[in-house]
Amino acid sequence: MIRQLALGALLAGLAAGTAAAQGGGPFYNVDKEVRIEATVREIVLEPRYKGTAPFLVLGVEESGTAKRFKVEVSPSWFFGQDVHGGEKVKVVGALVETPDGVPTIIARELQLRGETFRLRDKRGFPNWQGGPQRKRGIRRFGVL
Amino acid sequence: MMIKTMRLILPVLLLAAGAAQGGTVFLSFNQHATPNLFQTRDAVADRVSAFSLAVDQDLSTLSLLADLSYSAFHETPGLSFLSAGVGLDYLRPVGGKSAFYFALGGTGQFYRQAYAAFSSLGVNLLGAFKTYLAPSSILKLQWQGAYASFNDSLFDFLSQTASLSIDKYLPTRTTLKAEAEWGTKFFLHPFLPEPVEPLTEPVAALAAPRGPGAGTASGSGSGSGSGGGWGGRQYEGGYGFIPRYSSEGGGAGIGHVGLSLLAAQGLGDVVGLSVSALKQWTVSGQNPFLSIEEFYLVQNPSADAFSWQGHQLNARVTLNLPWEVELKSGYTYSDRNFPGVESLGLDGAPLGEVRSDIRRLFETRLEKDFRRLTVFLAYAWVDNDSNDPLFDWKSHSIMGGFEWNLPTGRKGGLS
Repeated sequence: MIRQLALGALLAGLAAGTAAAQGGGPFYNVDKEVRIEATVREIVLEPRYKGTAPFLVLGVEESGTAKRFKVEVSPSWFFGQDVHGGEKVKVVGALVETPDGVPTIIARELQLRGETFRLRDKRGFPNWQGGPQRKRGIRRFGVL
Repeated sequence: MMIKTMRLILPVLLLAAGAAQGGTVFLSFNQHATPNLFQTRDAVADRVSAFSLAVDQDLSTLSLLADLSYSAFHETPGLSFLSAGVGLDYLRPVGGKSAFYFALGGTGQFYRQAYAAFSSLGVNLLGAFKTYLAPSSILKLQWQGAYASFNDSLFDFLSQTASLSIDKYLPTRTTLKAEAEWGTKFFLHPFLPEPVEPLTEPVAALAAPRGPGAGTASGSGSGSGSGGGWGGRQYEGGYGFIPRYSSEGGGAGIGHVGLSLLAAQGLGDVVGLSVSALKQWTVSGQNPFLSIEEFYLVQNPSADAFSWQGHQLNARVTLNLPWEVELKSGYTYSDRNFPGVESLGLDGAPLGEVRSDIRRLFETRLEKDFRRLTVFLAYAWVDNDSNDPLFDWKSHSIMGGFEWNLPTGRKGGLS
């Protein structure tokens, strides 16, 4: 009985999830992928897409050219990872045009502090899942 | 039964995944091998195949997560379990530099046959606040509460944890972080009722000798030990868990405070280093159980982060190699004792001291990112020195697998 209730809740949740409508927004175009090295100048949470949680958006300055970009990270990263102002980052992502005219990169991969965080797969589909309390997979030893 | 259930559920999940426009669907398969499933001196080898499917979907400003996984134990099939969970996340920005985060989740773990005592349903709540004190400094506050009800009510608990952390990023590419934590766990009814006949000997002395094949009369014939019969349940293999008797019944709690420090350093584009230290003190109560145990890959309800006090040191290196290969290696040294848990001889007799373990853990993980999936290989080696001879063991484990994101329609900013 308990098992049936739990499975029922799970399936109900999935059904509710699939019913949700998504707002519009730029697509991840792999043909417009760029790679930049930059310094984080600004960290904000912005509503990017209608009907979704706000996204973590980094304002960065490209090393060498001092060109400014916005880097769209993901909705859940603000709590899951800590990005600091002044931090050096490497960004791999798709360059998109936005109405405000500021060049924006939808990040696929972010490298900072010597670690690489893969936010999307190589086709641009998101890797993030839930907030910081969601741990994928089953328990293992240690911290890796 | 479990396989049959999976056959029913998987098509529904895959259909739901296919319809999850804009959501994230995640599929993984892990294969494990360990020569010491029960993590005792009497090693029992096993192989574990774990399948996992998860869907993450935004519902307006809420994020919904549902996941289902099945872990199949090849040599100890009774330990195979199905795990399911649903959760909701909510992120609320406050001004430009701060945000609240709330999460509500429900989980269930369902074991077969002899391990049905571990089956549980639980709920958890999380509230957190994060703010930038300065562009290079972050303050975080977090509270988490959990409740779980087990098939064997000995393990039922309520727990809560609160933490405060502050970090600072320096121009030398160094990150320093300090964190303080307080937590408490309350077992609602962890004691067995007193036997009708008054005891004249310690409970442990009445327990069967601790070792494989030293089963009780109620054992299934393949190695149950002192675990046989507790709470009206028994299971094969573990034999390290021993509850206490109490005529008063009621609950029992254990609380701790902890302090941790972390320093992380990036070296060029290739190397990331971090070292951390954690000190934890038990400040109230003690473990209600006489002897506790933990199995490889199994969320054993008698031992967790609340069970111990002591310290832990960790060092980790990350290498970003060519061709999108990442190598992470870490070493962890921990010196822990378990208040309330007695060190017992192999004959089950108390040795007159609190159980104390020194553990050395080395682990490494190699990961390669391909276009459609990520594959990985991991290895862990553990040397656990304990003053309880049953838990004096060395072992290693090997794991490999892949993780795959299923395409679910458009792949714009959100998907």
